[in-house]
Amino acid sequence: MAKYIVTSDRFANCKRGDILDGDDLDAAGVNVDVLIDSGHISTYAPKKPAKTKDTETDKD
Amino acid sequence: MATTVYLSNPALTINAVNLTDQATSAVLSYVYEQLETTAFGDTARKFGGSAVTSLQNNTFEVTLYQSYAASETEATIYGLVGIQTTITVSPTAAGLVTPSATEPKYTLTGCYLESHTPINASLGELSTITLTFAGGALTKAVA
Repeated sequence: MAKYIVTSDRFANCKRGDILDGDDLDAAGVNVDVLIDSGHISTYAPKKPAKTKDTETDKD
Repeated sequence: MATTVYLSNPALTINAVNLTDQATSAVLSYVYEQLETTAFGDTARKFGGSAVTSLQNNTFEVTLYQSYAASETEATIYGLVGIQTTITVSPTAAGLVTPSATEPKYTLTGCYLESHTPINASLGELSTITLTFAGGALTKAVA
């Protein structure tokens, strides 16, 4: 299921940074490709958090 | 008799993008094609009827100020030519978010933009574009 992040201030009823579901956009009848090309949304791909090492407990 | 006077100040979205502050005119036409059902024995022409459902033939015409800035008119409209999209329009900005009986929201789903004029320039005038979205199914939300 694709997710998108709002990247403009003009997207209806949303603010910049909101995450949208692709299925909801399809159901609303909007054209996702055009929204991406026009800079209103972009594909949202959250990165996994980097692994951290607990240096305190590793001490001898 | 109570009356209300409405100063036109509608709000609209095109492909879910709010272009209200670029719009100067909006005309939504709700049309069911007129099918004749007159038959022998009738004394006057008749159209439609309880057993006849014609096709909607809606149009939405809007005039926008042209802007080539990021996420503005040109960026939003150019890619919509030749494809279907969805329009929403309400008499008020609040109606787009929370429609009510006095602030209805009209949604035209699956309407088609046939043409666009990316350049419409005259010396000393602000550039505007007029778009006509044709077809699509119209629904009215009051809650």
